[in-house]
Amino acid sequence: MDSDKIGVFICHCGSNIAGVIDIKRVLNEIARAPNVFVMDHTYLCSKEGLNELKRKIAEEKLSKVVIAACSPRLHERLFRRAAEEAGLNPFLVEFVNIREQCSWPHMYSPTAATNKAIALIKMGIEKARLLTPIQRRYARAKKRVLVIGGGVAGITAALSLASLGIEVYLVEKQPTLGGHMAMLDKLFPTLDCSICILAPLMSEVSEHPMIKVLTLSEVTSIKGRPGDFEVEILKRPRYVNEEKCVGCIEICSKTCPVEVPNEFDMGLRPRKAIYLPFPQAVPLLAVIDPDHCIGCRNCEDACERDAIDFNQTPERIRIHVGAIIVATGYETFDARLKSEYGYGRYPDVITSLELERLLSPSGPTRGRVVRLSNGKEPRRIVFIQCVGSRDESVGNPYCSRICCTASIKEAICIKERIPDAEVFILFQDIRTYGKGYEEFLLKAMRDFGIKIIRGRASSVTANENGDDLIVRAENTLTGEIMEINADLVVLSVGLVPPSDTEDLARMLGISQSSDGFLLERHPKLAPSETMIQGIYIAGTIQGPKDIQDTVAHSKSAALDAANFVLHEKIELDPYVPTYNPDLCKRCRLCEEACDWGALTFDKEKGVIINSSACLGCGACVAACPTGALDMPYFTNQQIIAQIHATLENKCEFPLIVAFLCNWCGYAAADFAGTTKIQYPTNIRPIRVMCTARVSPLMILEAFKAGADGVLVVGCHPQDCHYRTGFSKAERRISALKKYLENVGINPRRLKIASTSASEGERFANIVREFVEELKKLGPIGSELVMKSAG
Amino acid sequence: MAKKYAFFLGCIMPNRYPGVEASTRYLMTRYGIELLDMKGASCCPAPGVFGSFDLYTWIVIAARNLCIAESLGADIVTCCNGCYGSLQEANHLLKENKELREWVNEILKNIDKEFKGTIEVKHVIEVIEHDIGLNRIRSEIERDLSGLKVAAHYGCHFLKPREVRRHEHPERPTILDRIIETTNAISIDYRDKLMCCGAGGGVRAGSIDVSLDMTREKVQNMMRAGADCLTTPCVFCHLQFDRGQKEIEDRMGVKLGLPVVFITQLIMLALGASPHVLGLQYNIIPVRPLLRKIGL
Amino acid sequence: MSASEQVIQLEKTDPKFVEEIIEYGSKIFGREHMETITACFQCGTCSGSCPSGRRTAYRTRLVMRKALLGLKDEVLSSEELWYCTTCYTCYERCPRGVRTTDIIRVIRNIAAKSGRMKEQHKRVARLLIRFGHAVPITDEFKEIRKALGLSELPPTVHSYPEALDEVRKLIKIMKFDQMVGYQESG
Repeated sequence: MDSDKIGVFICHCGSNIAGVIDIKRVLNEIARAPNVFVMDHTYLCSKEGLNELKRKIAEEKLSKVVIAACSPRLHERLFRRAAEEAGLNPFLVEFVNIREQCSWPHMYSPTAATNKAIALIKMGIEKARLLTPIQRRYARAKKRVLVIGGGVAGITAALSLASLGIEVYLVEKQPTLGGHMAMLDKLFPTLDCSICILAPLMSEVSEHPMIKVLTLSEVTSIKGRPGDFEVEILKRPRYVNEEKCVGCIEICSKTCPVEVPNEFDMGLRPRKAIYLPFPQAVPLLAVIDPDHCIGCRNCEDACERDAIDFNQTPERIRIHVGAIIVATGYETFDARLKSEYGYGRYPDVITSLELERLLSPSGPTRGRVVRLSNGKEPRRIVFIQCVGSRDESVGNPYCSRICCTASIKEAICIKERIPDAEVFILFQDIRTYGKGYEEFLLKAMRDFGIKIIRGRASSVTANENGDDLIVRAENTLTGEIMEINADLVVLSVGLVPPSDTEDLARMLGISQSSDGFLLERHPKLAPSETMIQGIYIAGTIQGPKDIQDTVAHSKSAALDAANFVLHEKIELDPYVPTYNPDLCKRCRLCEEACDWGALTFDKEKGVIINSSACLGCGACVAACPTGALDMPYFTNQQIIAQIHATLENKCEFPLIVAFLCNWCGYAAADFAGTTKIQYPTNIRPIRVMCTARVSPLMILEAFKAGADGVLVVGCHPQDCHYRTGFSKAERRISALKKYLENVGINPRRLKIASTSASEGERFANIVREFVEELKKLGPIGSELVMKSAG
Repeated sequence: MAKKYAFFLGCIMPNRYPGVEASTRYLMTRYGIELLDMKGASCCPAPGVFGSFDLYTWIVIAARNLCIAESLGADIVTCCNGCYGSLQEANHLLKENKELREWVNEILKNIDKEFKGTIEVKHVIEVIEHDIGLNRIRSEIERDLSGLKVAAHYGCHFLKPREVRRHEHPERPTILDRIIETTNAISIDYRDKLMCCGAGGGVRAGSIDVSLDMTREKVQNMMRAGADCLTTPCVFCHLQFDRGQKEIEDRMGVKLGLPVVFITQLIMLALGASPHVLGLQYNIIPVRPLLRKIGL
Repeated sequence: MSASEQVIQLEKTDPKFVEEIIEYGSKIFGREHMETITACFQCGTCSGSCPSGRRTAYRTRLVMRKALLGLKDEVLSSEELWYCTTCYTCYERCPRGVRTTDIIRVIRNIAAKSGRMKEQHKRVARLLIRFGHAVPITDEFKEIRKALGLSELPPTVHSYPEALDEVRKLIKIMKFDQMVGYQESG
């Protein structure tokens, strides 16, 4: 609209932008554009900056606003709200990212960066001229939470939520709740019995009217959006009727001819194919292990209550939840990977978790500590610390935090049972940081005579029979090499993320930190939140923790989740396609393009859009050959205006128009900037929600207007925010490449690539390589010249 | 087509244990592997010895040896962990590091040579495993070694550093044990099986008593576990064990007497070769008890 | 003994020593490889793994520590420095990825350059220059070679004098002959 007046606000971000980009030149250049008001500010996001923005909107009667500052992924909401407060529709604001995607990745090329900033702002202005108001969309969250994992973290979170009147689904893979805590003997630093404090919580969960416990169950898919996740759970059959079984177990299991190692006892004692994992299991029900059951049906005959049911089949359960808490815990480090300690080869080298089972009164030895080689009581026991922790040779640089105090506790428990045993702990640094832990260490040394030696064990050797163990280490405080003849060696194994964490993270769309645990939104201020609203993490899945910290963390996750699902309104992306029936040719390609069933076809009315099912990817719009469908805020007209704006004054070669998807491509470009990875200035990014939004029309328009290359960067196919968006884009682009070849444009000028949100270096490489390739190809049109010359 | 290798002899094999050279040549010839002479090759030079004195001289001399194989157009095979250690590492470093390569080539110009990075360096163990194949050897065993207790000694530089060698994990290797068991002999377990023989790093030359004390410990561990002989794929370890046991007796008065057989000698014995052809009679520690055990 | 002898006096240390080590080895192994020395957290895995450490006063951990503290003279002049067999056990087991064995080799290079090379080692080095082999052939083994059907001399520098000249030429360029006290006449 000609009457529009566009306000352009350029932020210095202190020296983050202004230190690279020549703001004066930008202001001069932009001021020349018609119907534009332009100003700059040191910190536009400050309270004062926002007030200035609001004031100018009113004073200058601005009808559209362009914010040239940091990434919209950072402050989009903030500036939209400010515009709204000044009486503008919040979607009449366009963002130009001159920090993460301009000043930071081009720190050493200020002139080119300034040129690029000018071009980007002009693109923003031309898009802004075409913006139209959009209504905000809100939804209510389902007042129901899924908790994945039934250890102490999941149990705590479930109980906290239920006490606030929120319905909880607690999903556990194993046949019983309890997790690792149920396997421990006593707890530090109080030496209270683990199962004695856990079992009441387990029963409380199972009996709570607001909590539905699903054991033998796994989450297989998660769809939908924050506030309304559609979760599919696979519940494996127990082959035991839950109503009829009373958990008496003796009668059925006595008749079972199969014996396999009991996982709960770390394989130190056998169980039957029909079994109860441990006496306090919740639910207190027998379970048949289908991998080992031979189908003799002896148990069926034996059970007086007729509870055995071989006809049970796997069940798929679908639920809708408002929020999800991930509490899948940890696994212990596989000590076999430290071959120098002989675990798996020498029977008297055991892990700390195996020792816990030996110490437990309900364990395989009823609490007697014995050598596994001969069943005798050990006289000299050596603990080796940091097995699989603080060890880059096995890829685990982090400290597992609990092992020092756990070993001290186990050493005390041994001394209580075998007072004249000699117990050594070989440590690197004793980290007894918790409340009462240092005092606990003192007690171990003073009252129990436990010998702690500073030196990481280098090896455990044995003679040819695998016994007569010698632990070798340097006592680093005296500089002496020690060889300790040990009867029993305990490897204090570290904590590692469960092996399925990567799959789970992918399914949830959340990230892992470099140690493989799940990444919190902020390490200090948002430790239970993730980057995705409505998904929270509780306990050791975020990183190693003792039980105290796990409980605190789980309650914090529960509070975050409760806060979210009890919220009245959740703001959704407002991007839902518009439909012009007059342009529609009834081809129904849009219907095919939609993965969500949001488009239905009616003979009379044409396309009907179900906005609550629409995720706003724009794949249907790109598929529409007539322009009947369009995507607000990302309209065909707006994007084409951006393309023309940047190519009108082509200031460098090669010039690349880059379509970046909001979730990965754009995020990776931001990440490259944040980490100051440098790449050439030649790209002009255009943000789209999904690469599937990019239509052939736009690409061809870019080439026609003089782009030397077009780059499309989306998510890795398996990570696509819209499931198949990137794959659709790939198919479309490969078809388009053939067309380009036919019309005499080198198809190598069109490139599609994928990155994850954190692959800044990969993004930079994609740009570098493409720029190099285009340099070889020459400016757009050279191939046509060559052709005619040849 | 027959496989060809540039046979890097080094120092100890041709000049102290020619029996190892002869046995290796027999084994390779039997399986159609052609060994090309690396005319004019020198000492590798030893990685822990010359590498400890001057790494720059070390890599220049190693590069010259690599150039000889490059001109033959064949990968190198060697029977010494030291030679393997030097040449494989130098080859790796020169291939990876362009600046280093250019610097070395600048010096090699003086003798009209240039390192190009066109070949690989292999250990004889790799050739036995991949080019010959254990199944092939197993199917052709002629002499029964069953019941013979062999203490395997891998040596250090065959497996370590892992990031350069890229073989099995050095804390849990199996290849030498598998080769031994191919001959029907028993590869026994013993304490500190992966410990060093004590010879490397210039310790043998510079501190003979320290060096021999390690050898003593290792041989005693083998003998305690009931070994009839020890087998190694490294001719320097071989020397340290064979010659070293005599030196241990002379210097420390500890009599050991465990026969030392090189891995290619052990295989050739199992394939029916006469111990004399393999030069076992030239070992310092008599191999007679071992030969009696296998009925010779 | 005065009290001050029992104290590490920083002005007597060489804070640049660790940089000297890194710099020296970087050209061969790359800078990143050498810089791993700075990650050492003194756990003792290296010393405990060391076959020499079990029979001598050699402590790999202490070499790293002293190098990091700049105790240059103490590190370079210690007899123990030469007890490492380069078995790489510490290198493989180091939980911080310190490339110990290569760092030891570099420190030895610096010691050798500063004239602290053992006579026995110089002797071995001179054999290489004289014969091209650190372990040259003897008459006894010529006979054994013949008896086993091998050529009397191996087809190495022993059979090709011009090849030996090449080796010597390179060694002269590197000035290695001067370092080990080799003289043309023998």
